[in-house]
Amino acid sequence: MDKKMFFGEYGGQFVPETLIPALDELEFWYNKLKKDDKFKAELDTLLRSYAGRPTPVYKAENLSRELGCELYLKREDLMHTGAHKVNNTLGQALVTKYMGKNRVIAETGAGQHGVASATAAALFGMECTVFMGEVDARRQEPNVKRMELLGAEVVRVQDGQRTLKDATNAALREWVASVETTHYIIGSIVGPYPFPEMVAYFQSVIGIEANAQCKELGFDPDCVVACVGGGSNAIGIFQGFLDNQKIEIFGVEAGGVSDKDGEHARTIGMGKPGILHGAFSYLVQTPQFQVADVHSISAGLDYPGIGPAHAALNDSGRVKYGYVRDDEALNAFKMLTRKEGIIPALESSHALAYVIENKEQFKGKKVLVNLSGRGDKDMAAILERGLI
Amino acid sequence: MRGFYIVGGYPDREQFKKCLNAVAAAGFEFIEVGIPFSEPVADGPVIASAIHEAVMNGVDIEAIMSDVREMKQKSPSIKATVMTYANIIHGYGEKKFSDDFGDILSGVIIPDLPTRMHSWMTDKGLSIPIIPFVTPVSRDEDIEAVKDTKAPFVYYISIMGVTGSDKKGAVNNKADIAKKLTSKPVVTGFGIRTKEDAERALNATGGFVIGTEVVKRQKDFSEFCKYIEQFR
Repeated sequence: MDKKMFFGEYGGQFVPETLIPALDELEFWYNKLKKDDKFKAELDTLLRSYAGRPTPVYKAENLSRELGCELYLKREDLMHTGAHKVNNTLGQALVTKYMGKNRVIAETGAGQHGVASATAAALFGMECTVFMGEVDARRQEPNVKRMELLGAEVVRVQDGQRTLKDATNAALREWVASVETTHYIIGSIVGPYPFPEMVAYFQSVIGIEANAQCKELGFDPDCVVACVGGGSNAIGIFQGFLDNQKIEIFGVEAGGVSDKDGEHARTIGMGKPGILHGAFSYLVQTPQFQVADVHSISAGLDYPGIGPAHAALNDSGRVKYGYVRDDEALNAFKMLTRKEGIIPALESSHALAYVIENKEQFKGKKVLVNLSGRGDKDMAAILERGLI
Repeated sequence: MRGFYIVGGYPDREQFKKCLNAVAAAGFEFIEVGIPFSEPVADGPVIASAIHEAVMNGVDIEAIMSDVREMKQKSPSIKATVMTYANIIHGYGEKKFSDDFGDILSGVIIPDLPTRMHSWMTDKGLSIPIIPFVTPVSRDEDIEAVKDTKAPFVYYISIMGVTGSDKKGAVNNKADIAKKLTSKPVVTGFGIRTKEDAERALNATGGFVIGTEVVKRQKDFSEFCKYIEQFR
């Protein structure tokens, strides 16, 4: 068993034997392409001219005054398709092209990764099927429409809790059946090796860019904060700051409504190590080792697992993983909207809420929050439920 | 080798025991008992929905295994294997699972543990032989890696897909290569439905296992018996 598949003790390739040759092929191409100047230039051009990189680091003056800290936002919400997800889907679609495959599949929770995958597929002229839990499809209806407009087929998954976990199961099943012609664009730093490493690589642009931008503004942040579901936006921004031990780093999980079973999605906070979707990592599970039901107001964080890199960062103590509840995230959503004129995604609202709820701890500090996505997709559900 | 897969504890303990004992009493060579896991990613709709029902009703590993033990006492010649996902065995504890059930199990089938990950569990104390998989896309080195298996057979997944798929089995020589290399019987699974499919597999690789068609009948004992009878 190869150590390269692991972050500390987490990771691995817990998948059907049928997928092993495809994972080896992907590893081969990924390792080759990340050193290939032509590939890198092609991706860089796409990220700049098509997707909107670099995204700014914005000092939120109004909220800073309110909270008593210097609050900076890394504006991934300004990316094409509305979130950081497109950093990864453009990268993986380009890998798919080099591998000579012409069909991609994807799972999606909030729909952001599905839209970003459908977008990349449209751009590259590839066939695209997106798996989305029925519950998520309902709460993120505008994103379903967008995917369909972009030419993707959206499969509404009826199994289990009908959310992200079940969509991922369905995508894995489809991949086993079509692996010879199809690439599976996993949307987070989850799944079997080399996915966690590859997705982290494509998202590292967030942190590298943010680090350089902060330096240009003349400072290093004291704290970096990001929300964590599977953990791709978080690992993306963390990678720019992990080496600087003076910087405190926080991952924020979805606390749902309470710590009762089925009412939260606190994978690190309440889970224990287990195996889901190809990797050994923290997992919310029952005493009988079944994957437990989870809940979050935000579809993108409503997931019982977490990327193996975060499990390792938690155990080493380098990153502190906390949580906020649904209503605190909603409050942050409202505050950023009203005070700064930025409507954040409910996922990203969790990161912001953590700073708001712990403002004493952050007082006087320079705090960089990854604003991973914008909230247009959430507005219908929020208004419909009378939450604001 | 002729074998059947049934879902442990499904639809309830009594009915499961009856099905388990019927397979043993009919003189088949092996039985594959599924310990349900909530995320059955290698399974198609029929088995997945049976597993979901079982999970909703609560999975009791000790109860399933005590029924297997009882069956083994009555029919010691049948080989018993367990089919379950990696999280169940890891959660229970690789060593504890081996200590508790090693005496009654000839092997474990773990659909999300490919050959290269076997040592992850054996290093943690899993001493029951892990039944290795060969697939239509296995490369020479993948088959080479199962050469020294201590398992009673090699499991050949004959189709690219999940259990119960209606795709046609792949026609290539992977199963033959595995058979020669390991000198173990090769059991063909996934997509075997009829007596003809089973005979073809017996002739081609030396064994078959049927899951979906059996699980479909696990709620109706007389249908279950009627179905397995034709393979005697």
